[in-house]
Amino acid sequence: MRRPKKPCPITEAGIRFVDYKDDRLLARFITDYGKILPSRLSGVDARHQRQLSKAVKKARFLALLPYVKGQQG
Amino acid sequence: MATHKTRMAPTRPYEIVYIIDSALEDAAIAEKLEKHHGLLELAEPAEIEHWGRRQLAYKIGRHEAGYYAIAKVNAAPGTLPEFERALKLDENIVRYMVSLVERVLGAPKLSDEELAARAAHDDDDDEDDE
Repeated sequence: MRRPKKPCPITEAGIRFVDYKDDRLLARFITDYGKILPSRLSGVDARHQRQLSKAVKKARFLALLPYVKGQQG
Repeated sequence: MATHKTRMAPTRPYEIVYIIDSALEDAAIAEKLEKHHGLLELAEPAEIEHWGRRQLAYKIGRHEAGYYAIAKVNAAPGTLPEFERALKLDENIVRYMVSLVERVLGAPKLSDEELAARAAHDDDDDEDDE
């Protein structure tokens, strides 16, 4: 039995290329600890997941997203 | 050989994100950006988007907040090393990132028709909720 495929939330939002400056969008695809959510949980398609991965890493460098959440220092 | 002065160096589109010390006055920040952009020898002025002061997701050195500014420029790649060296030496610049704009980021701007269609669609969703 296969579960029906979830539609990709990024495609649905009409986004062609994921923007690393859009921290509100990126925050939807990280876990409570700040890790990148696997596409099997988020339903993001492979192309957007690759873009997302790079965007999250850029956003972390720019202190828009934390490297590790829920930890001081 | 003799033409290198008259011919303009080919430029590429870059996006530069700055995190500047939030203690600095707005006027000083604008002046600083202008000074640094001078090193890029831009043909047209940089398009600057000021996000203003915001909390950093984590502490960078002693900084807990920073002034974010994003500049879009068309610069010759050869001017970048000197520009980046100046940014590194500038103590008021907490962090910066230069990236090549290869694609349009985010969602494309919708035409009026598409916006209307989307608005109508959203209204349908609202009715479903009720």
